[in-house]
Order: sequence, then C-alpha cells, then structure tokens
Amino acid sequence: MSKRKNSKQAWKDTAIPRRPLLWLAAALLFTLPPMFDNLASWVPLLFLFALMLKFWMEPRGYRLRSNILKLILAAVTVGAIFLSYETLKGIEPSVSLLAVLVSLKILEAHSAREFRVVVMMAWVLCLCGFLLSQDLAIALCLFVAFALLIAALIQFHSGSSPGAFWLPLATTFKLLAQAAPLVVLLFLLFPRISTGFWPRIGDRRTAKTGFSDRLSPGSIAALANSTDVAFRAEFPDRRAGPLGPMYWRGLVMWQSDGMEWRAPYAPTSISDSSRRYPASDKAIRQRITIAPHGERWMFALDRPFGIPSGAKLARGDYLYSIQPIRKPRRYEVLSSIEPIEKGLDAYEHREALQLPASISPAVRDFAASLVAHDPEPRAIVNSALQFFRTQGFSYSLSPGEYKKNDLEEFLFRRRTGFCEHYAASFATLMRLAGIPARVVVGYLGGEYNDLGGFFLVHQADTHAWCEVWFPGNGWTRVDPTSVVAPGRASQDLSSFLAGRVASGEMATGQSAFITQLARLAVLNQVRSIWEALNYQWDTRVMGFDADVQDVLLTSLGLTNSEPVRLVMQVLIVIAAVLIIYAGWMQLRTRPRADQIQTLYKRFCQKLARVGVQRVPWEGPSDFATRAAQALPNESRRVRQITETYIALRYAPEPAAANLREFAKAVNAFGARSGD
Amino acid sequence: MKAGKFSLLYPTGSFVVLLFVLGAMWYAASSQNSPAVYLLLFGLTTVFLVSIPHTLLNLADVTIAPESAKAAFAGEEISLPVEIMNCSRATHRGIDLLLPASGGERKRIDYIPAGKTARVTLRFPAKQRGEHRIGTFRLTSIYPLGFIRVLKKFASSQTYLVYPKPAGDPRLPAHRTRSPHSRPQTELGEGDDFAGVRAYVPGESQRHIDWRAVARGQPLMTKQFAAEAEGSVHLDFSALRFHDVEERVSQLALWVIEAERARRPYSLRLPNTDIAPGVGEAHFHRCLRELSLFSHGEGAAAKAEA
Repeated sequence: MSKRKNSKQAWKDTAIPRRPLLWLAAALLFTLPPMFDNLASWVPLLFLFALMLKFWMEPRGYRLRSNILKLILAAVTVGAIFLSYETLKGIEPSVSLLAVLVSLKILEAHSAREFRVVVMMAWVLCLCGFLLSQDLAIALCLFVAFALLIAALIQFHSGSSPGAFWLPLATTFKLLAQAAPLVVLLFLLFPRISTGFWPRIGDRRTAKTGFSDRLSPGSIAALANSTDVAFRAEFPDRRAGPLGPMYWRGLVMWQSDGMEWRAPYAPTSISDSSRRYPASDKAIRQRITIAPHGERWMFALDRPFGIPSGAKLARGDYLYSIQPIRKPRRYEVLSSIEPIEKGLDAYEHREALQLPASISPAVRDFAASLVAHDPEPRAIVNSALQFFRTQGFSYSLSPGEYKKNDLEEFLFRRRTGFCEHYAASFATLMRLAGIPARVVVGYLGGEYNDLGGFFLVHQADTHAWCEVWFPGNGWTRVDPTSVVAPGRASQDLSSFLAGRVASGEMATGQSAFITQLARLAVLNQVRSIWEALNYQWDTRVMGFDADVQDVLLTSLGLTNSEPVRLVMQVLIVIAAVLIIYAGWMQLRTRPRADQIQTLYKRFCQKLARVGVQRVPWEGPSDFATRAAQALPNESRRVRQITETYIALRYAPEPAAANLREFAKAVNAFGARSGD
Repeated sequence: MKAGKFSLLYPTGSFVVLLFVLGAMWYAASSQNSPAVYLLLFGLTTVFLVSIPHTLLNLADVTIAPESAKAAFAGEEISLPVEIMNCSRATHRGIDLLLPASGGERKRIDYIPAGKTARVTLRFPAKQRGEHRIGTFRLTSIYPLGFIRVLKKFASSQTYLVYPKPAGDPRLPAHRTRSPHSRPQTELGEGDDFAGVRAYVPGESQRHIDWRAVARGQPLMTKQFAAEAEGSVHLDFSALRFHDVEERVSQLALWVIEAERARRPYSLRLPNTDIAPGVGEAHFHRCLRELSLFSHGEGAAAKAEA
C-alpha cells in the first residue's frame, strides 16, 4: 500500500538507471535481425529510433506522458502497418504491431514495474523472431538477446552495487548453467501437446525461395545467387556420395507450353508394388534433412523407389509430402541408380507428347528435319544435342528475357540461356519429333562438408533436365545443359561459376576481391564448421518434434499415453533438482563454524561432565577460576587452556601453531579427566 | 535479532505478467509445433525456477540489529539507524528493509559483501507522544529476477519515545519565586542585547539560529540575548487553566524548551511526578520524557490517593 503511494508521489522523478537500460538496449538490438529479414523495413528502423531516443530522453527526464499522444502514436503506427501489409492478420503484421508497441512502451517506461514489463515484452519479441525464422544464426542472436535480458534484470535489481559489467554476466551464466540440465530434461520429456487453433504460418514467406511447380524461362537463373540451403544429404552406408553427378529429383513436369513447363497441380500417386526392387549394389540409401519451404516437394537422388513415411510417390517417380513442409524434416530414402523399367500406358504416352498449339512453323520444320535425318529415337536425341553443341549456344546466367512462345527466338537467334531454357526447349523439340519427353526439376550437385560428412545442396544448385522415353530402356535422362556447359554437371553451381569467372569465360557482378575472399581456405573452413553446426541444429533441435519425441519416449519405456503423469514426474525431478541447488548453494555460503569457539565449547562440555557447569553470562577467565577451585588437580591445565583460548580469540594476530596446540590440549584434557 | 522461523516466498506482481508470457509461448510452441519456441519456453521457465533458490538464499544468514532511536517531538521525524549484517560467505544484493508498523518507507540496500555490515537509517514520522514499539522489521529481496519475493521478519521489542508537540504561549509563566538574597544576575534569553551563542536545543524556535554560522559550515547555534535576570520557573500541570490534557502537555513542553534555552532553572510538577528545579541536557530530557509518558488517568488516580 505504502509502496504504491510512494511510487505515485514520485512518479515524476523515477527514472530507469542507465546501466540496466544499456543491457536492455543491447538485448533489444539482438532481437532485430529476424525483423530486418522479414518485416517491412520501417518497423525495425522505428524500433531502433525509439531506442536511441530513449537514451537521449532519459537523462533529461523526458518521457512519453500524454495519454492522447500515446493513443495518436499507436493509431498512426497501426495505420502504417495496415498500409504496408494491407492486412492486420498474419504473422508479419502481428509481429510488426508488437515491435511498434514495444517501441512506444520503451519511450513511456520509467518505473521498476514497467522495466520488467519491457523485458518481458522483449522475450515475446524473441518468440516472434523464432516464428519468423528458424535459422541457426537467427537463433543464436535470439538466445543472446534472451540472456542479455536476464542480465538486464539482474543489473536492475542489484542497483548500484559494484561490478557493472561482469556481475550481471556472471550471474546470468550461473543461472543459465543451472537451468541447462532442466532445459534438456523438459525439451526431451515435456509432452508436446498440439493445439491447432492458431493458423499455421509459413506459406508466403518460405515460398520466396526454391523453385515452383512452373518452369518458366529465367525462373531458375533467378535462384543462382541464392545462398539458402535447400537440403542436406547424408549417405549412411558410405562416406562419400555416389560416383558421377548427383541429380536430385524434385518434380516432373508433363505439360509443355513451348518454353514454359508445368507440373500437375495435384500429383497423382502411384503404388510401388508393381516396381522391381533394384539390386543392392545399385541402391543408395540417403538421409535427407529438408529445409522448410511451405510446399510438398521432397527430394531424393534420381530415382527414388522407397517411400519415406508421410510421403507418396507421384507419377513420374518423384516424392511428395502428404503435408506441406513447414519445419525442417528428416527422412530416409532409397534410390536406384539404374533407370527403373516400366511400361508407358496409352494415357501417359499421349500426355508425354502433348504440345501447345502455338509452336512456330520454323521449329516444327526443324523437328521434322531431325526425324527425316534418322527416324531412330536415339539418333534424333543425338542430333538434337549435336545441334546445341555446334550451333554456338552459350550458357549464361542472364540470357535476357524470353516469353513462353519464344522457342524460335531461342533456338535460331539468341541461342543463349540457362538450364531451364535448354531443358524446356529440348523436351519440346523431342515431343515435336514424336519422342515422349518430360522435364524434371530438382538439384544438381552439392557441396561436401568434411566435418559433418554430409552434402549441402543450395537453392543455387537448382537444375532442370529432360527425360525421354526409349522403347527398350524406359525413361532415360538427357541433360542438354551438360552439352552446352560440360563442367556444370560434375560440380555444384557456385564452384562451376567460380571456375568460369576465373578463366575469364564469364563476367560477374562481384568484385574480384570478394571472389578471391570466398576462395580463401580459412574462410571455407569456417563456413564448413558453420554448416556442420547448422546441420546439427536442424537435425537435433529443430527436427525434435512431437513425432521424434514419441519415438524417444517409447524407447525409454515412457509411453506418451499419459501426459499428465509424465508432467508430474518431470515436475518432481525439477523440484528435486531445485532443492539440491538450494542445498548446495546454502552449503557454499553458510558462515563457517568458528573452530576456536567449537573447541572451547567442547572444553566446557567436558568440564560440565565432571560437574563444573558454565553459566551463559560467565566470562572465560571467571569460569576458569571457578573451575580451578572446583578441580584443584586440573587447575593448571584449565588455566592454560583458557589462556590459550583468550589469546587465540582476542589477540590481534593469533598464530596458527597455537590453534593446533589448543586443539591438542582440549582433546588431551578430555582423555585425562575421562579416566 | 531473532528472526521468524522461515523465510517466506511469494510471487510479485511481475510474476503474473511472466505467467502470461509463458502461456503465450506455450501456445505458440504447441500450435506451431516449433522446437525452437519450446526451447525458449523451457529456457525462460527454468531460469525463473532456478532463480527461486537464489532469491531465497539472498536473505540467508542475514540478520539485523537496530540501534536506539533518538527521541523526537511529535510531528517531527524519528530516525532509526539499523545495521544489517551479512554473516554468510556470499555477497548479498538488492535487499529492502521496511518497518510497516511505523509507516516508514522502504530502504534499499544495494550491496552487502560477505561478512560485512551495512547501515541504513529508517525515517518515519513521530505521530503521537508517548513510548512506541518499533514493531516488526521486514527484510525483503527480489534479486535476481524480480518475479519472486523473499520475506524475513524480525520482531523487535525495542521502543522509541515521542515527545509532546510543543505548542502554546512561548512566554514563561509569570508565577515565580525569587529568593530574597539572590543578587541580580544577567540571564540569557529573549532580551535585546546580543550576548553570544550556544548549541541549538532540538525543538526550540529557529528564529535565533545563527544562520550565517551555519552557512560557514558550523553546527547549529542559537544567538542569545541578555535579558533581565529572572529566577527559576515552576511548571505546574495543575496550575494550567486549559481543560484539554494534550494542550496542557504541549504548553508545558514548550515552556521546558523555552526555559532550557533561556538557561533558567525550571521544575516540573505533574499530578504523579515532581521534578526538582534544574537546567541542562539531562534535566531537559527527563522533563520531556515525563511529559511524553504522562497520562491523565494515572495522574487522577494518584491525586485521589493523595
């Protein structure tokens, strides 16, 4: 009661001290990176501005006081959020709203309670950061912010005590170290009950990277500079990957528009019962951790035939997930290096020859000339590849714009393109020549990480190639890009491009310095360590969801059927750990028993046993005189012990040797008089 | 000083907000099935849980020893110096000391190193004359995180004295006895001629404080003026004509101060007490003490007996 009265009286004068404010500001800065990546850029800028303004205002005693002004500012910012997102629903506008409110709260805060409220709002900002991005770098930033917020609270509550920098940090580390085992326990065992009321997030944001179900000219070239990771692959049965280029099959496109191809909107699943199991030496087992992309594509080496749980095999032998992939997911899949033979039914045959009506006569004539030259399908394929090889086609990241009907323009005039141009035009050409063909989109290559023993496949490795149907062999992979740019298939895109830039075949927008820097061995090693850490984070932490937990609990013999019981058990363990902590800390800080006093007490007890009781108010020398009178035999010893005791206890610097003698004398006294 | 048997732990207001935040985190984690958010949720929960023993032990082996409080006049402020001893081997931080019975405000001790003592002075208003119990000290701390408060109570039987509020007519009563053989002497008091300075007596009027000396950094001094010699003063409770006891006590207190300031011997007569004439610090405090403890019921009874 009195506290409230006092704070009301003094509300004009309270200010948040500078030191906790600095900690808080540092923590808030670490919550910014995910915002800069995902929100309208003015939101984090406003946040930064509010923070700086607070440091200007606080020493001057200014703060946001007027309620009307607060309301106006809140209304203006909500309006601005609506203008930049055109909605207030969804995760980005909500996080923006929260960030803006925190900015206003910072300007307003001045009391202890408000300081704690701002700290807790900042924790919610950390939560929002995790909803926006689950990358390891962002996660590290957010955990740093989390720890700095604890330090801010500690600094705030320790007032002006000395140790401005190390004290809060050391205490924070102590708290975190004590909390760590409990976090692991809770993380592994606390039941993950799914509440599905909130709209799941992720579509709009994650679809920015990765390819789409439509292969249009330029769509893959746009990804060539992306450094995002698409997935990681391990080969559990062998250390290195398969020999030869790694074609990761993504999805198969059947529908041709000339230069543009499309995959069926809803993949038709096929059962794998009819397929023949390949010989074990031709099968490669892969463990793949896929980065969330919000769609249903899954990747595997060409061609997958085992089906991981939660996935299906679509017509065209590619995997797709039953649920959209919104968090890192790990699966194991078996692939066959050999083409899987299978018949082509009439429907598929018809579909594999479908063509748009808008193909120009020049292209049709060219296809006809290929057939006329040699009607055998392999010969047609070879002469078409020969055409790409010899007619001055070039491989370029920026081939200029093509429309979906620009097949003629590409084949006969500009003759420059990226993999999607070659794959699309080649497949269309084959169909014109009467050979069933389709386009496959996926990834090519991958960067090997020594430390983690896995391959890293980036979005930049996105690739498109063709498959043609040969009556005897079934669907056969043909990669027209490899004809134009022979090195591409054997390495990932970035090293391929780097090699081309180095040999002067390609111009690049990056300066030579950065290119050089990127090739430094040290940096590569750092990068490789970072990727290994990233992998561990994604597989061990981000991959530990309710399903994995279920497996763990079952293997531990704790079935997840009774979450309440499990929670109780976890809580009991936590309480026990807390009691142990408290006991341990108490032991470490309890005042040390005074050794001299203990010995003297023992001496008094011994005297009491032989009938001389010391009264509480009796001084040691008075007691000694009385005891000496009562026990004349022991009078010399009693006096001596008492003198040593007084010397030890009250002399300015008692020697350690005296203490030992004193102990000896007290012990000997007991033995002698006990007889 | 004897502490209560247990330290009490209870949540602070911020704890409610923390629960809300944890609830939001849990909801987000479970609806998004996001391990990272679970990690954050468990991190915050366990850091809070682990902070509880830290808060609890922040008052372990801390004890307090109040010094004696100086008496003050009603309406003034009592200041009570208190020593807080940290007998443990750890530094304690962020401790609040509160004396709720006396309505004082909380005193903050930021820092007591291991084995050391901190000294704070509690100030609270002296409301009513008489002897009052200090009551129970409350030592609290919310260090380190501020979501849990630990409370340790220290009951104290110590008392403090509040002198009556001086009020009424500052002129000393005219009724006086002058011994016939006393020679005329110069008394210092309310006269016109400046006769030097002496130490300020708490409670007396501030009109004659030598403010210029105070400005030079010297202690409070009262300027004295020579007046006509006067004899000793008899202050008699029953001689006052007011009806109200408190009014009479206040008047007597004012006279005690005025007489002390004038260095005139004064005697005090209350229905059950009689203090012989005298002057000086000890006499002054003795008279004021009697006045502050005086209760009329007792006095009446004593009179009836006599």
